[in-house]
Amino acid sequence: MDPTTPRIIAAAAFALFAGVAGAPAHAQGGGSQGTIRIGATLPLTGAEARIGGFYKEGYDYAFELQNKKGGVKVGDKTMKVELLLLDDTSTQATAVNLADRLINSEKVNFLLGTYATNLVEAQSAAAEQNQMLYVNGGGAASAIYKRGYKWVFGLLAPVELLAESMMKWIDEQQKAGKLPKPSKIALLWENTSHGKDFRRGVSDFAKKSGGGYDVVVDESFELNGKDFSALLGKVKAANVDMFLADAHLPDYITMHRQYVTSGMCQKVLSYGARGSEKQAAEALGKKNVEYILSAVWWSPLLAHKNKMAGEFVDGFKKKYGHEPEWYQALGYETARALFTAIEQAASLDKDKVRAKLVAMKIPSILPGGELTFPSEFGQQSHAPFVVQQNQPDGSAPIIAPAESATGKGVAPNPNCAK
Amino acid sequence: MERFTELVVAAVLLAGLYATMAYGLGIIYGVLRIVNLNHGGVIMAGAYLGWVMHERLGIDPYLSIPIVMVFSFLLGILVYRVLVRHLPRGAAGGVQSLLLLFGVWLVLRNVAYLLFTGNDQTIRTEYSTRSIVAFGLALSVNRVAVFVIAVLMLIALHLFLTRTFTGKAIRAVAQNADSCTLVGVDVERIYALTFAIGTALAGLAGLLGAMLFSFNPSYGSSDLLKSFVIVVLGGLGSVVGTAAASLILALVEVFAILALPAYLTGAVGFVLLVLVLVIRPGGLFGQRVLG
Repeated sequence: MDPTTPRIIAAAAFALFAGVAGAPAHAQGGGSQGTIRIGATLPLTGAEARIGGFYKEGYDYAFELQNKKGGVKVGDKTMKVELLLLDDTSTQATAVNLADRLINSEKVNFLLGTYATNLVEAQSAAAEQNQMLYVNGGGAASAIYKRGYKWVFGLLAPVELLAESMMKWIDEQQKAGKLPKPSKIALLWENTSHGKDFRRGVSDFAKKSGGGYDVVVDESFELNGKDFSALLGKVKAANVDMFLADAHLPDYITMHRQYVTSGMCQKVLSYGARGSEKQAAEALGKKNVEYILSAVWWSPLLAHKNKMAGEFVDGFKKKYGHEPEWYQALGYETARALFTAIEQAASLDKDKVRAKLVAMKIPSILPGGELTFPSEFGQQSHAPFVVQQNQPDGSAPIIAPAESATGKGVAPNPNCAK
Repeated sequence: MERFTELVVAAVLLAGLYATMAYGLGIIYGVLRIVNLNHGGVIMAGAYLGWVMHERLGIDPYLSIPIVMVFSFLLGILVYRVLVRHLPRGAAGGVQSLLLLFGVWLVLRNVAYLLFTGNDQTIRTEYSTRSIVAFGLALSVNRVAVFVIAVLMLIALHLFLTRTFTGKAIRAVAQNADSCTLVGVDVERIYALTFAIGTALAGLAGLLGAMLFSFNPSYGSSDLLKSFVIVVLGGLGSVVGTAAASLILALVEVFAILALPAYLTGAVGFVLLVLVLVIRPGGLFGQRVLG
């Protein structure tokens, strides 16, 4: 081989890893007196662009609605709210740099968070260093909130709770004699803090169950994996009753396609928060996503049970012409939580607004109908999850918790008997 | 035993795709001494082109292979004529070519973001989740088809390089471009042709990959890294070397699951790369000149 080859290849690999910032950031709005300037970044381009766009819809709707009411009441003044939104290009470094710019150059009053755990994890550290109030609805990993940060508040409940919510429903089915005891579980989790939280949630539940569950396969995988056949082979060889994975959408589609073609069928099947997406049903075929369980932070079906959620869904549909998913709902609710805290504080003083967020207990569109930021969980909301299950007619009703349920779940998976 | 067979079959099927991915990169480096960083971009473009053909025009992805390859071939000619041919050859042009082709890749990626957004896409056909039973195992129809196409393509390429005048000219230019000029070979034409063939193979790899995995505009990055590993393992030479290196990488990755956590299996290939560079810098099969 040419002696320069290793050097050229090393340089090429470096160039690949180094990456570059994507499209230039763009800002909306400007500043004026009597206006509350709220900064935010979202991944509007790059790998998370699709979901970043969803959060933007939620933010835009919340700001529009608030300004239609005249603005945010601050003592005896009513001030308009202005969103200064920048594109963090789905990269951590950009998210941090832009947060710094918003705080120190743009001098915003408060910050709303970006989406995706890894971005929030990095960006929230910058906010904390600058003692800037940072409210986010895009970072779920409990690691973000275990750092003892004072200025960071999160609306996404931890992923452990997601796993626990799902396991509670599964446990009810086991107690009803529909699932074997003990049930053998294959636990597959993406190698991220999101996946680790999921693993912890399922493992802890299994340990506390007193022999109800036996985790016989416990494996992690890399994000955006290509070939899961060896991993699935391991699951197949273990002959498990339950296949519980935590994956982002692309991995869910790739892994489930390989799952289906390998001829596997488990009594309970889940990919964590994934499962009910229309896009997945289109990519995999409606038949192949039947009876998949998923647990999410919010569902438009909550409109049937929660008046506030109903008003949000109607208003959102009127503005955008489509139904919101949990991303838009969390974006909206994040902005609303900050507006409410400012109104309650009757001041733009960050200490006063922070104190109101710490003590916050307000009606919410989230499951459970209440929003709080418990100090014992590092100011991370612990609103319950809703568990959904895909049905053969293409619907995905909420099957748990009982007070939010819009349908009944099925276990074991009837397709395995065919 | 069944588990062993399952892993071997999984590795062999994966190796076919890896080989298609890598040979495009290898042939361009072998002849032009340029690391085509745009390889990942063309893989992504091939995936999207196949998807557009299927979604918008209803053409079966396997039937769109010739269209994707011709498109990628022409893209290769264009990139070569407009950009690459102005670069100095050899080590002198190494860094410049890296930067230039990395730039082209970024342009392609951002064009894809503009056209298709960052949404993950998949090519879904009625046989996407169908399987056949062989060796007592359920094998995905798509994975088998991708493997067969990859093998046929590599055989065709091997025959082209060893049995045709143009193929022999490509190999001769890889050995000594100056001597080829003296005996009347149009070296510029051979360079353009080689760059286009390598690009066409990347487009094919993108389409075949899209039959198996979901993709978005950042698709192709990890494929490019794996292609590097294979090219170095195979020794920048023969089709056989590339095929063998692809199989070795796939086997190592797949069997690593028996000893390592699944998330580390992807890194095993890179450990192998480092070992080969230290122990056999010429690659496992030594330096050969194409074919």
